[in-house]
This record gives sequence, C-alpha cells and structure tokens, in this order.
Amino acid sequence: MKRFEYFEPATLEEAAALLAQGAQALAGGTDLLVEMREHLRAVARVANIKKIPGLAALTYGSEGLRIGALVTAREIELSEIILQHYGSLAQSARELGSIQVRNRATIVGNLCRASPSADTIPPLVADGARVEIHGRARPVPLEDFFTGPGKTVLKAGELVTAIVVPPPAAGTKKVYIKHGRRKAMELATVGVAVTRTPGGVRIALGAVAPTVIRARAAEKLFPDIEKAAAAAAAECAPISNVRASADYRRQMVRVLTRRALERVR
Amino acid sequence: MSVVGKSVRRPDVPGKVTGAARYAGDLALPGMLHAKLKRSTVAHALIRRIDFSRAMKLAGVKAVLTHESVPRVLHYGSPHPRSASLACDQYILDRKVRYWGEAVAAVAAESEEIADEALDLIEVEYEELPALLTVENALASSVLIHDTKNNLVTDPVRVKRGDVDKGFAEADLVIEGTYEMGRPTPAYMEPNVCVAQWQEDRLTMWISTQTPFMVRGILAEVLGLPLAKVRVLVDHMGGGFGAKQDLFQTEFLCALLAKQTRRPVRLEFTRKETFLGGRSRHPGKVWLKQGFRKDGTLTARQARVTLNSGAYGSHGPGVTAVGTAALTSLYRCDNLMLEGKCVYTNTPIAGAYRGYGVVQTYYALDIQMDEAAERLGMDPCALKLQNAVREGDIAPSNHAVVGHGLEDCIRRGMQEVNWPVKKKTKNRGWGMGCEMHGSSAYPGIKEQGNATVRLNEDGSAQLFTGTTGLGTGAHTALAQIVAEELGLRFEDVSVVHGDTDVVPWDIGAFASHTTYMGGRAAQMAAAEVKKQLLERAADALEASAADLDVSLGMIRVKGSDKSLAVKALVSPTRGVPSKQFVASATYTPTKSYSFAAHFVEVQVDTETGQIDVLQVVPVHELGKVIHPVAAAGQIEGGIQQGIGHTLTEDYVIDPVTGRSLNAGFVDYKMPLSLDMPPIRTILLETAPDPGGPFGAKGVGEDPIIAIGPAIANAVYAAIGVRFRHYPITPEQVLEGLKSR
Amino acid sequence: MKISLGVNGEKRELEIEPYRSLLDVLRNDAGLTGTKKGCDVGDCGACTVIVDGKPLNSCLMLGVEAQGCEVVTIEGIRHPLQEKFMDLGGAQCGFCTPGMIMMAKALLDEKPHPTEEEVRFAIAGNICRCTGYTRIVEAILHVSRR
Repeated sequence: MKRFEYFEPATLEEAAALLAQGAQALAGGTDLLVEMREHLRAVARVANIKKIPGLAALTYGSEGLRIGALVTAREIELSEIILQHYGSLAQSARELGSIQVRNRATIVGNLCRASPSADTIPPLVADGARVEIHGRARPVPLEDFFTGPGKTVLKAGELVTAIVVPPPAAGTKKVYIKHGRRKAMELATVGVAVTRTPGGVRIALGAVAPTVIRARAAEKLFPDIEKAAAAAAAECAPISNVRASADYRRQMVRVLTRRALERVR
Repeated sequence: MSVVGKSVRRPDVPGKVTGAARYAGDLALPGMLHAKLKRSTVAHALIRRIDFSRAMKLAGVKAVLTHESVPRVLHYGSPHPRSASLACDQYILDRKVRYWGEAVAAVAAESEEIADEALDLIEVEYEELPALLTVENALASSVLIHDTKNNLVTDPVRVKRGDVDKGFAEADLVIEGTYEMGRPTPAYMEPNVCVAQWQEDRLTMWISTQTPFMVRGILAEVLGLPLAKVRVLVDHMGGGFGAKQDLFQTEFLCALLAKQTRRPVRLEFTRKETFLGGRSRHPGKVWLKQGFRKDGTLTARQARVTLNSGAYGSHGPGVTAVGTAALTSLYRCDNLMLEGKCVYTNTPIAGAYRGYGVVQTYYALDIQMDEAAERLGMDPCALKLQNAVREGDIAPSNHAVVGHGLEDCIRRGMQEVNWPVKKKTKNRGWGMGCEMHGSSAYPGIKEQGNATVRLNEDGSAQLFTGTTGLGTGAHTALAQIVAEELGLRFEDVSVVHGDTDVVPWDIGAFASHTTYMGGRAAQMAAAEVKKQLLERAADALEASAADLDVSLGMIRVKGSDKSLAVKALVSPTRGVPSKQFVASATYTPTKSYSFAAHFVEVQVDTETGQIDVLQVVPVHELGKVIHPVAAAGQIEGGIQQGIGHTLTEDYVIDPVTGRSLNAGFVDYKMPLSLDMPPIRTILLETAPDPGGPFGAKGVGEDPIIAIGPAIANAVYAAIGVRFRHYPITPEQVLEGLKSR
Repeated sequence: MKISLGVNGEKRELEIEPYRSLLDVLRNDAGLTGTKKGCDVGDCGACTVIVDGKPLNSCLMLGVEAQGCEVVTIEGIRHPLQEKFMDLGGAQCGFCTPGMIMMAKALLDEKPHPTEEEVRFAIAGNICRCTGYTRIVEAILHVSRR
C-alpha cells in the first residue's frame, strides 16, 4: 500500500470537486482499499464520503425502494421490507462476501465498481432500478449505467447518491441464484436474477458478458422454460478465466436460468 | 495412566484466545525498519541491469540490496542435514531469475508504505530466456534452468525388488494408468515473517519457522558466522504444514539489511507473497502399472513418478524419494520397479508440505486398487484388506512393520459405515482410501530427538525441547509424556522451547517427528530424572528404589502408607535444592508407521458438476493417543486441506507467461465453514510401537493422504466416472458424465 | 492526524497516518497485537474486530474512519467462548482465533441460540487452516446451549 492524501468532504459539492480533480470516493472501502493494496489501482487522493448528510437512508414507500449511497449490504440483508418485496436483492446481498464485508460494503459501491460478476447488479437490473447521480437532472436506468467491465457512464466529478427501485406489482416473484465453487466468499462465476411479474419475466445475467445483461430473447420465450434457458445461454458472451471456462459458464447459464424460472413459474 | 490419554488444557491456548500469544510479526523493536522485496515480472531471464539510485533518494529509504551487494554463496534453501537436501542451487539473490515472482531486490525503510513506494523506483532490465513452464518442456529442452542434465534436480530415484517381469507374467489382470496431480499450497494463516537485530557481531532472529536450528546453521554458514553468534527465536507460529522449513531468501536479506542499517528490520510476506515466495506441493504425474492374480493378490508393481520442482530444488529430492519409496508398501508386493524423477521448471518453488510426496503417489495407488477391484469383481475394501501391509513386512524405511494397523482401520471403518453401503440415492456414493505414513524423517535424514528434563526446587519439572510449536499441541503432548513418566501432575510440567541458545538441537517440527522422536527423547530424559529421584528417595524412605512408585507428585512405598512429596524430596530445606535433578537423552534414528482408512460419502450435482462431501469417517491407528482432542484436531484439519486438494485448490500458473493467476484467497479456494462436512473421527491404539513414547506414533500427515483417494473413489461410486487426477473440477465432472 | 476513539472501553487519543488501516493502528499505535493480519484484503477474517457493535474486517477500514467509534478487540473481552475454545480444541495454531472469537461473539450477541447452519454461515468469512472448523463450531454451539 502506498501513501495517499485523505479528505473528508462535508457536502456533495465538495466531494464532486475533489472527484473532478481525480480523487477516489471512499464509502465502504471493501473494493477501493483492496485494489490499492493489490496494486491494481494507483490512488493518490481519497475522499471519504461518509460525512455527507442525506446519503444513508433506506426507505420504502409508494415510489418504491430508495437505497442511499451509504446503505450497506448488511442492512439490505437484514431488512424485512427488502426480504418481502425485493427478495432477489436480499439474497444477492446475503451472498456478497462475508458478514464482516457486508457491514461495510455499500450497494452503490457494488454498482459503481461495475464488476460484471457483482452480486447486487442482476437483481437490481431485473427490478428495473434507476441510478440517481449528483450532477445530473435525470436518473439513469441501471441497465444503461454500465459501459464495460469496471466502467460506468459516470464522468469525473459525478457521484451516485441513490438507487431507486420501483415497487413490485402484486404477485411478483423474485429469485437470485449465484454459481460459485464454494458456498461462500465467492465472486460469481454466473449470476442469474429473475423477476416475474403478471406481465412476464425479466432475466438479468451476471458474470457472462462485459456488463450485466438482460436476456431479452429468453424473456420472450417464457413460459417455455427449456427454450428460455437455452436462449439465455445463447445470448451471453462469457470469457474463460481462472474461475471457469466460457463453455462451462454458458452451460451454467442454462442450468441456473432454468432453475430460477422454475421457482417463479 | 494419569496424564497420557487425557485431553488436558493446552498451556499455549489461553494466550491464543485472549490475544496475548505473541507471534513473530507482533514484535516491535525500537527503531525497527520495514523491509519489502521487489519481485520479477518474467519467468526466466538474466538481470542485465538493476538500478536503485532513485529508490535511495526517497525519504525514509535506508538501504537497498541487489545481487551485486549480497554475498554470493550457494546454499540448499532447505537446509537440512545434508542427507536429505541434495540440491545446492540457491543464492541469496542471483543475477538470473528463474520464476515469475522471484525476489530480485530488498528495501528497508522507515515504514511499509515507503518501502512499497521504493520498489517502484528500482529499475530492472531483463534479458529474457526461453521459459520452461512444463515438465515435458523442461525434460526435452536444451535450455538449462540450473547446470543439471535434462533439467533434473538430481539423479532419479530407483527402487527394485524381486522381478516385475515375472510378476506381470504371473498376473491374471494387468492394469495401468497415469495419474496427475495439481498444485495445492499450504496457505497457513500467518504469513512468513522474520525480524533481525544485531548486537555487535551477534545476530538475533525472531522468525516463524519450523526449523530454528536449521535456520541458525544456514545463516551462520552463509553469513560466515560461528554458530554461537546466531540466536534464533520462535514464539508462537500461525501454522506451517511443512512449508515453513526452508529459507526463503528473506532471512538472509533481513539479516543483511539489519547489519547495513544498524537497526532492527522486519520482513513480512504479504498474502500474495506467501504464494509467490512460499512453497507449494509438487505437481506431477504418476504412471502406475500393477499385476493381480484373480484372487486379488498383487504380483507386480511398476511406477514412474515425475514431480515438478519449480525453479529450485528445495525439498524436491526428499519428496521424490519418500513418495517413490512409499510405493514399496501399503499394499504388499514382492516384485517392484519404481523410478522417481524431479524436474526443474520456471515456476514457483515446490517444497515440503504435509504428506511429502506420499499424497501424490498414494492418490494413484489407492485409486488404481479400486479400479482393479472392479475389474476383478471384488469389493475394494476386500481387495485392500487382502493386500494390506501387515506385521513383519518391510516398510519403506526398511524397518519391519509393527502390528496390523491398516487392517484394523479398514475393518473398523467398514463396521462403522456398514460397508458396503447400500446405494439409496442417485448420484450419491461411498468411497474409501487408505494410507500409511512414517513418524520421523529417517532414513532421509539421520535425525535424532533430544530432550533435557530438569526439576525446579519446588518439585515441578521443565522440559527443554528443540522441537518447534507449529500450533498442533505437540508440546502439550510432550509435557504429558514427561508428567506421566516422572509421576508428576500435568500442571507441574512446563516446556521450554524456541530458543536455540537454550534448548537442545533438533531437526525441527516436521515429518511427524515431534511426538515420536521428540516425545521418546523426553520420556527417556524423564525416566533418567525419575531414577535420580528414586535413588535419593530410597534413602529418605528406607526402602529400595525398586519398591517405590511416583504418581501425581507423590512418591510412595508400594504396599505401605509411607510416602514423600517430590517437592519435599527436592528441597527439604525451603527453596534450596538438595541437588540438581537433571538429565538429557538422545533418541537415535528409528521409524514407526501410522495407518488410516478414510470412508467418505459424496453427492454429485450432475447438472453443475459440483461434488459435495457429505460426511467423512476417518479411522486412524496411532499406537497410543497422548491427547485425544489434539489428535482429532490434526485429523480434521488434514481433511480440510485434503478436500481442498481434491476438489477446489489449485495454484495456477499461466502456461504462456509463467505468471501466477490466483495468488490470493479470492481465487485460491479453500473449503470454508459452510463447505466442510461432519467428521466422525475414530482413533485406534491397536498397534503401539515400542519405539514410541508409551507406544505413540505420529498423526500430522496421515489424514491429508487418505482423504483424496477416498473422495475420488466415492465419486466413482456415485456417478460411475473415474477420475485419475486432482483437483476434480465441476467442468471435468460434466465432461466425464457426457462421455460415460 | 489525531483521532479519538474508545478501545475496549477506554478512551484513546492517537496520532496516526490517514492511510493506515484500523488494523495497523490497533497493532502498531494502540499496542494491541492480538488482532492478526492474515491477508490485509478482507478475505480471511483474521482481523475481525467489533466497531459500534458490528463485526468487520479492520484491514478494510482506515484508522481515521474509527474516529468517535467504540472498538472492541480480543483483548477487551472475557467471554465463555474463550473457555470453550480452550477445552474443545477450537484453537490450534491460534492465528485465526481472535478474529474467529470476535465474529462468534458478534453472532451470539445478535442470536444467542443459533443453529449449526447459522453458526457456519456467520463464520463463513473466517478462514481456519488447522481445525477443519469442526471443533470451532462445536465450541460456539456449546456456549449457545447454556
């Protein structure tokens, strides 16, 4: 780890100014500090955004769910409301790292890190979430937020302040299935999130493309589960790495999509 | 017995549960500097130029060492008495780099951060050489990693017995196969660390090592110091599993940086460096061919073992020799032709790791036994029982086997799980794997156990032992042995260890040596002290020494109520000992074998290919169990590592660049709490060894050997797919199912 | 930078570098070496401490972020878990033990009577390489059954 300069901006404006000058935002630290220690990122200036008021709220109302930038994965995991109305998000939070990590890691941080295998992204994409950004008048649909592995639409100086997720229609079922080599402490080799509404199904796939993707062809084939699962496997573009081969990932997309669809049938 | 056989509270554990226990990395000395290593980013190259002038200009940097500024002395890396280590192939820092990640420079600075920043300011120009990343390439290439023929670390090991051609000719079934082993690594929780401090011309080193006397010896030799000027101190250790026996370049560098800066220096590996700079298990291949009569009797065994040493020899010769020699036994066979080779490649160094070559060779052997059983139409347990090594057979060490431990384990396990277990559920199955392993490093090392026992003036005893405390509870066992032999309460025996200035010489804690060799020496020394005690007591009690008994601190005349407390005998005048009751003992090379049979149930998800271990019933024969909880703990921990080896652990090296791809816990996957199955440990004492303390034998390495083949055999029972390698990945399971 | 925080019930004022982790601050500046560094990147749990009632990896928190917090380390507790770990073989080399006990204590504080599954789930982020977890889980369940 190398030395860096440390700032504690008191307002969003101060934070934005620091970020515009190249500082990195520090929320949970469970990605940023790791990348700095592993020498994956050289960071000279760190801006701790936890002193900024108004970013820590987790609320649910008629507009749906609002997750402030500083809400942790552990809060999501333990929230009764989320378990009831956003079950796939709760499940994904539950499988993120360990309890120790979840007590610090923020959902917004998980999104901004934009790893294609991030756990909380597929459920939020399947739920039609939107991202509110300080510096922009209109929120960005989460599906359009990512531009590549580790890359988002955020420009220098921009900071995500909240995620908003629409309220579920009556009778909605949500599932998140993660594939890993072990039962915990895994980066997903494949992640499948399905949100089933009276109107149809939304399927989001993680870890099998440069960003999380919607399996739109598969969605159209539902309720033919076998066909939908096969289509999902064809729609993804996985890579081979030390965790799994592209071929295996493709096979798992098929298996897990099928299992997820069976649970929401 | 009053002390041996009981799970007494280990004296080292209270400090561990309160945080008071000190490990080498906890030590902070005034003025201490922090050292870091710059590591190569090429797999095979000459260092054309190395320039650290910019690093020296960074405020806070105190010294930088490169190959140009350290003594150019060849050493063994694994510094055992020469009988075991035959590869004298390491320099402290060399002008040639032989694997991606090898250290090329060392920096000492006021803080870790400054040292880290300094590494970027050291410029290295490499002239790349062709990298030999596989054993096949290395054997065939004209490029040499060291100056050895065909890139072999040493001459191949050859073992011949009887006449294999005749044996195969007599066989009704001849079966052969090639078995392949990946690269697991020990991943102890405490990263390697050492602290060096000089006082005048005397060097003191605090270090997490299993072999303090070896460290002292090699440091003295390479740095040109007399032994008396080097003191090595080992406090608590956070695990080693065999892999903390070597010198890692770090000890020399730490000492030299401390000398140059005239300040204490600490060098601690990052987790990543425990992979890059540590020691993993030897990957390799075993080609195995065996002949059987139709009644199941073995008639011949031929094998070629080829192990990948990585860039340096380390324990390669020893591991190859022990792994190959192990194939002379376990399942008895009169006609043997075995060959073992160890090959250099430009990959991270393989070294000693729990099981020491036998994990590899018995994986092949035990799986092939199951294969043969199927072809012969026999139950695998029946076939293994039929051929199981038994009393009088010559073990790999050339000693005769004592008792029928292997048969006892197999039979007991069969009983426990109701073997053959009826298959109730699809894709579920039971399998069994066996092993035997020796206690002590003999005959590879002409080793010895040493101990000194001394009574304090209050009648308590101190045991001075050179064995190291890895964390297994071995020192508690030694104290129990001394207490039992001397007739004291356990609480009245303490163990002094970890200071080469004070304790007797020892090879260190490895090769399952501690309980057997260290324990026997402790028992012998205690027996001698007891003799001195009873001679003196005979006078005081007006009886003959032969009529006296000592138990729980009281000396009694047999058949009478005359007694005398040990304390009173030792100092009849308060606080002044009547004489020094002290004795030393040396226990010279011998060997005993422990046995195990593991019974495992697995379930396979045939859609994802994932293998779940549902339960393990390990049956171990140990001669005499000194501390039941500690023994079971060794077994359960060994099983965790073995499950990892077999299913999920592999330290992967990029086949093109030689780069490490998963040098961390994210992608080097060890079984965690949710992955571990219930384990029902069974300990047997049916074959005590007269050479061991109270008949006790070692246990540290056995569990990691038996579990692997047990899992592979269980997978076959579950889904009918035979795997002859580890780790068995889900992708390979799916492929196997497709071609079934 | 100067920080002021509670450590094991005591108010501490420390002068620290902002780029140091809470783990390094505890070990080097506060003199509490009981908490261990196993990986420094949040993968192993050896550095687990409890901050404002929540167990977390102290390697992934900067010391400056603990300003005004209540931090509890292994040195600050006296808990039946420690006794049970001693008696039932829950500790061998001991390096994972402080973090493991802190995580187990946090679990029992929240859930005094967990099932075995819940225990294993809670310590899923604590790596032990010596015990195979069997006796750790046993020790925690033993305490929970009181």
